[in-house]
Amino acid sequence: MTKEEFISSGLLELYATGISSQEESRMVQEYLTKYPDLLEELKQIEISLEKYAQANSIAPAASFKEKLMQRVFPGEEDNKVTAPVIYMKKQGGGSFIFKLLAAASVILLLVSIILNYTIYRKYHDTKDALQIAQQKMEQQDKSNRAMSEDLNVMTNKYAQPVVLSGTAQSPEAVAKIFWMKNTGQVYVDPTNLPQVPAGKQYQLWAIVDGKPLDAGMITTKKGIYHIQKMKSFGKADAFAITLEKEGGSPTPTMDAMIVSTKL
Amino acid sequence: MSQTFTYTEEELVALLKSNDKRAFEYLYDNYAGALYAVILKKIEDTTLAEDVLQEVFVKIWNNFSTYDTSKGRLFTWMLNISRNLAIDTLRSKSFKKQSKIQNSEKAVDYVSNNINEDEKFDALGIRNQLNRLSQEHKRIMNMAYFEGFTQDEISKQLGIPLGTIKTRMRAAILELKKILQP
Repeated sequence: MTKEEFISSGLLELYATGISSQEESRMVQEYLTKYPDLLEELKQIEISLEKYAQANSIAPAASFKEKLMQRVFPGEEDNKVTAPVIYMKKQGGGSFIFKLLAAASVILLLVSIILNYTIYRKYHDTKDALQIAQQKMEQQDKSNRAMSEDLNVMTNKYAQPVVLSGTAQSPEAVAKIFWMKNTGQVYVDPTNLPQVPAGKQYQLWAIVDGKPLDAGMITTKKGIYHIQKMKSFGKADAFAITLEKEGGSPTPTMDAMIVSTKL
Repeated sequence: MSQTFTYTEEELVALLKSNDKRAFEYLYDNYAGALYAVILKKIEDTTLAEDVLQEVFVKIWNNFSTYDTSKGRLFTWMLNISRNLAIDTLRSKSFKKQSKIQNSEKAVDYVSNNINEDEKFDALGIRNQLNRLSQEHKRIMNMAYFEGFTQDEISKQLGIPLGTIKTRMRAAILELKKILQP
């Protein structure tokens, strides 16, 4: 039998299905040894039959596998039917990339710390500067307000300016009073009064019907003198300022009179 | 049981020769259904068929060193073990007491009746294609491959001369190959 005759005889098929006689099987094996490329022919027949068998397969009961595993591998813990294990692919050079990333993150952290510190310091400096500026502005604002108040008083159309001239005790001293004719409100401008000695305070007096009446204490703090609101008088004969003890006196100390005027 | 990996036949054989448990599991997951179906063609009782299937896998595991790759593929070897064990069980005295041997006609019917039962196997397409196989070719393949009838038995059963079984089998497998071709 030639190789071709052998192939078309159907002996390989009989052999593959497992029903060839002993004699036939021996002959097939002889041919397979003689013509090794017949192995491929046999393999194709077997694969076809295997697919046929797989297409007809019937799954055993689910519990069967565990029973079988217990029998074949007795006493082993992991015979339980488990989900298939998926093996993670180990990445080549992964550790180098990891080291590089670690190094990079450390550097980034250091840079970040330095930057943070610098920015924090700048922030603090700015905050201090801002505080100073705000304080300055507040002061400016205060004095602005005071000045505009001064101006308001001076430019008031009802204001009657009264100049208090220095007495013999302090000939240089000058004070101005703005007396609102409509309300009787008295304002005093102590700008040109001499510096107040410690523990002393200027007191304004109004002379009404020959008697000196307390018109209020003049505040002269920090050497900044502003026009300030005093008491109101409907009428007055004269105004005088005396240097009294802090807080004022019920009656003027006449020999401490700094300025006075007669209306 | 779905597998996230596949072995080539050579890898699988090598692992089984070294008693690799995972390879055995793989073997079970991929072939138990096909082998069980072969056993069921001989033994209707599922409990008994499962007993036989268990013996088959124990035998595969314990006797794996006797598998000779030059004699054929692994599945062919496993199928032979299954078929032979099923036949042996049928012939055993204890079995004969319990039930009569199924006649071959019934067994053949069993094959065609069970073709669409197992939805688990993913070659449903192949299964549908296999319906195109001629009844005559199906019968001769089933009798030989699944049930292990002798040529003599097949000749008598199908009423064809003994000498033409080879060529008939070849024609059947050629038709099968043609259908399986993509």
